[in-house]
Amino acid sequence: MRHAILEVAWQAWIVSLRDLKRFWQNIYWLAGQVAMNIADLLIFGLIFRGVVKPELIPDYIRFITPGILCLSIFISSFTIGREVGVELRREVTQYLVSLPVTRGALVAGRVLGGVLRGFMYQAGFLLLAVILMGPPTLERWLLILLVSLMIAITMSSLSITLVTLTRDFNLQAAIRSMVYFAFFFISNVFYPERALEARLGPLAPIARYSPVSMAVSIYRHAFNYLREVDLKFNLLGLGAWCITTFLFAYKLYIRNLTR
Amino acid sequence: MLIAMWDLMKLKNQKVFIAMRLAWFIVQIIVFARAISYVVSTKILQYTGGVDYYLFYILGVYTTVLYTTGIARGYMIAEEFDDGIVEYHLSLPVKRDVLAVGRVLGGSVSTLIFTLPMMAVVYAMLGVRDLFTIVVAIISALVFSAGVVSFVVLIVFTIKSTDLTDIIVGAIDALLVRLSTVFYPLPVILATGIAPYYVVAALNPISHMSDFLRLLVFPEYYIVVQHGPVASILYILGFSTGLLILAIEFYEKKAEAGGWR
Repeated sequence: MRHAILEVAWQAWIVSLRDLKRFWQNIYWLAGQVAMNIADLLIFGLIFRGVVKPELIPDYIRFITPGILCLSIFISSFTIGREVGVELRREVTQYLVSLPVTRGALVAGRVLGGVLRGFMYQAGFLLLAVILMGPPTLERWLLILLVSLMIAITMSSLSITLVTLTRDFNLQAAIRSMVYFAFFFISNVFYPERALEARLGPLAPIARYSPVSMAVSIYRHAFNYLREVDLKFNLLGLGAWCITTFLFAYKLYIRNLTR
Repeated sequence: MLIAMWDLMKLKNQKVFIAMRLAWFIVQIIVFARAISYVVSTKILQYTGGVDYYLFYILGVYTTVLYTTGIARGYMIAEEFDDGIVEYHLSLPVKRDVLAVGRVLGGSVSTLIFTLPMMAVVYAMLGVRDLFTIVVAIISALVFSAGVVSFVVLIVFTIKSTDLTDIIVGAIDALLVRLSTVFYPLPVILATGIAPYYVVAALNPISHMSDFLRLLVFPEYYIVVQHGPVASILYILGFSTGLLILAIEFYEKKAEAGGWR
């Protein structure tokens, strides 16, 4: 049993390395994304710092840094969906199912590929967050890593699920964009929950249940921006997102590969 | 005209995309714009000339949609290179310059039609009923999108790769939107003291288009008071005409003898 688990883990690792390698090949895309995230952090943060209500957000740069940290791992893990989408379009699926790995290892490998992309990409932003907000304690570093792992699994799985809904490449891109921006906007990345409560009224709790909001709240706590957060709610919520999206990704990806 | 119809025909297959983009746009102006305007203090009114931040921002969002939709026309042209349709176009009994103008015109009219529902939503929220304002806004959107489509044609002809076009245009897109007056007025950028950022934002076509749409609707907007509308009109016309001439030049020179490959 232990040997079988190790075997699946090894196969998943091999599959994930392929996705990681392909990640570095899109160097222009990476440069553009890094520039965009840094622009969000520095330009958006710097300018909004001077025009936001100080009673709501005393320091916008410190407020938005954990949000950008979450977006960085979100967008990089989410790219795995694009790979899967292109493969479905170009019918590379025959090759994938012929590989000497189990179906479970294949899906786990693709998700792991997204997770590794996320961690690699987020590393630089973590360093930037430490510079801007100060280093967290060891215990909070572990919390940050756990949250990053869960949000990366969620976003990899979600993007795989979304692209397997249709084989139309343009529709895939449209669905991915729509979900991507819905998570951006309906979350606490750019504004505090109070702003959403004031503007959305009874619909505001939707943002609270978003995995992005949950992750950002914990990041803010870990970097000492928020003194207290409901850790139990946010961690359990992220765990639930993680498991649910992974199961969906498994089911839909395998269905698309084998039909 | 027949060439332009090629692009317009493609719109028929894009009803789902228009619906999805409209839904996403509505989420953006109902959730993001309302929430972000809640956190912005009234201090910003001194920079906008008294225009409410929410109203200021939604016209900026419309401009970004117009810009990104125009850019998306470029992806379609890039895909035609991959699919070999460009050979078919070059074999048509039309001059290269007519072909270029037709493609740009078709792309810009498609862009306008694609974004008209968003413009309608924004103007409904602003309560704009003045026909002259709406007609001028539509014409300016058409002229601006002609410039954007020409710009992307130049990139496609230079890069000659769908994937690379996707990546490079995406990066330019993201940076241009951020380095513009979509989110904040120029005086706020000036107040930060970052001179290069101010210069880029002041020269950015997205800034000029969004400010032009604002000055059409808000007579109190700071640009109307300080500079008048002429500079923005001239900029948009110059931007589109210049890029269209370059696009024609590229079609005439680069498309010959397999030069698109």
